[in-house]
Amino acid sequence: MRDNVLKYVLVAPAVLVVLVTAIWPLAESARLSFTVGRLNRPDSLKQYLGWDNYVWALLEEPAFWNSVWVTGIYTLLTVGLTTFLALGLAILLAPGGRLRSGVQTLLILPFAMSPALIGVSFRFMFNPEFGLFDAFFGALIPPLAQVSWLADPILAFAVCVMADVWGWIPFLTLVLIGGLVSVPRETLEAAEVDGAGPWRVFRDVTLPQLAPVLAVAVILKSIFSLKTFDQIFMLTNGGPGTATQTLSHYIYFNGMKYGQVGFAASVAWLMVIPMVFLTYAYARLVFRKDRDP
Amino acid sequence: MSAGRKSRIGSLVRIVLILFAAFVMLVPIAWIFLAAFKTHVDVYQLKLFFTPTLGNFGTVFEAPFFLGVKLLNSTVVALVTVLLAIPVATMAAYSFSRFRLRGETAMLVAILATQFVPAVVIVLPFFVMFRDLGFLDTRVGLVLVNLAIVMPFAIWMIKGFIDGIPMDTEEAAMVDGSSRLQVIRNIVLPMAAPGILTAGIFCFIIAWNEFLFALILTNKHAVTLPIGLALFKAEEGDLWNLLSAAGIIIMVPMFILALVIRKYFVQGMTMGAVR
Repeated sequence: MRDNVLKYVLVAPAVLVVLVTAIWPLAESARLSFTVGRLNRPDSLKQYLGWDNYVWALLEEPAFWNSVWVTGIYTLLTVGLTTFLALGLAILLAPGGRLRSGVQTLLILPFAMSPALIGVSFRFMFNPEFGLFDAFFGALIPPLAQVSWLADPILAFAVCVMADVWGWIPFLTLVLIGGLVSVPRETLEAAEVDGAGPWRVFRDVTLPQLAPVLAVAVILKSIFSLKTFDQIFMLTNGGPGTATQTLSHYIYFNGMKYGQVGFAASVAWLMVIPMVFLTYAYARLVFRKDRDP
Repeated sequence: MSAGRKSRIGSLVRIVLILFAAFVMLVPIAWIFLAAFKTHVDVYQLKLFFTPTLGNFGTVFEAPFFLGVKLLNSTVVALVTVLLAIPVATMAAYSFSRFRLRGETAMLVAILATQFVPAVVIVLPFFVMFRDLGFLDTRVGLVLVNLAIVMPFAIWMIKGFIDGIPMDTEEAAMVDGSSRLQVIRNIVLPMAAPGILTAGIFCFIIAWNEFLFALILTNKHAVTLPIGLALFKAEEGDLWNLLSAAGIIIMVPMFILALVIRKYFVQGMTMGAVR
């Protein structure tokens, strides 16, 4: 077979799989978002009502805006905290050596853990009767001893953020270590010879060199934070009330529990909007890397 | 002298911080490990020292939990997903790596982008379709949907590995009269094998840990391990010792696989954006 035919034959199955498993459901979701779309009435999946679902979500549904708000704050906090702590840990671990590479190996573990299981384990740790963290924080800050963490809206939210940050620090740390190691040592030494203190070296030499890797890490983490579902479902199931109901959880609830697939699909598409921007930014970084290897 | 002392204190502080970080990372995992070997009573007493029991690992496989069925489902679904995804992804990755295709960038971006679409957007139409076709609560259905999340990773990761193989050997073999397909089979596949295996393991972990699809598309027969965690509830609350034992069964195989491919974990997750 000639190469210029073969090259398309080789790609075809993959393109087909992506079309069927990802592009088709996206398009079908878009279509559903314009229908009445009740699970218990099959004919309603073809009953079109224009932009009504979108208008309803945006204008008539405080619960939608609540989940936008929850997801926004959740994303800001988890991205900020994870990046900050991972950067610190990466700086500590980058020099290498026995202890440090041992700890790096340990970092793989939380990352191989199912997010659902992370949710379960944090619910366990914050159990008011026999949770380890509950006892620990209670001893550290006595007023917290009697608090039932997952029953309080703000504390439950804090626990969700903690679980997320715990689960993602390892991955971001490993990414940033990769970036730190590639900062040329001569540049760092030259800066030190010139009399720059450690903070100046970090700010003026390391950080600019690390910027592209940091950007990749922050964008990826933002995408994963916006999508968060598994841990929340297992940890608080959106509660208490709707205090920890992220957009994914809100969509799940409306689509599956209330059977309003049409409405859920419209919210899902509203959620795609920020994803498009982030993906665009990410794709630019990936392809710039591709052009100059 | 004071400078030397200062740097010694500095390095001590750093080691303490590193150990503290390692401790924080391990505590939730260790706590699950401890609880899995505790009796129901010991869990409720925050004990660090107790008489370990293996009983929980037996109980989870018995009625009414039947974790064995979920274990089988998880294994079959993840394995079949990987076995379908990897050959397809490898072919595409080779083509993307070695040829200029019309619309190549568009295709690669589209593949990358599907990975970032929230799973909950994809699952709604699948639920409706599977209900009509009778695919709900089947392993076949789950495999099909899992391909959506696994394919982009596989294509990008394997492409990264093939990009790293120099083209000279291939070209020399072509000059000697090998066809392109022979070159792929005899030269590229053996050289890319470790990379392909790594991508396979990576995708296996993703499919194994997948939660949302299984939650929505299964309810009895095709339930996978992560969803099975929800079983361990009784009237008096969660059965933490059994939950922990099930947790170990879920995470330990993935720990082992992740350690095998740890060098490539970052590359896999970032789809080659960070090498």
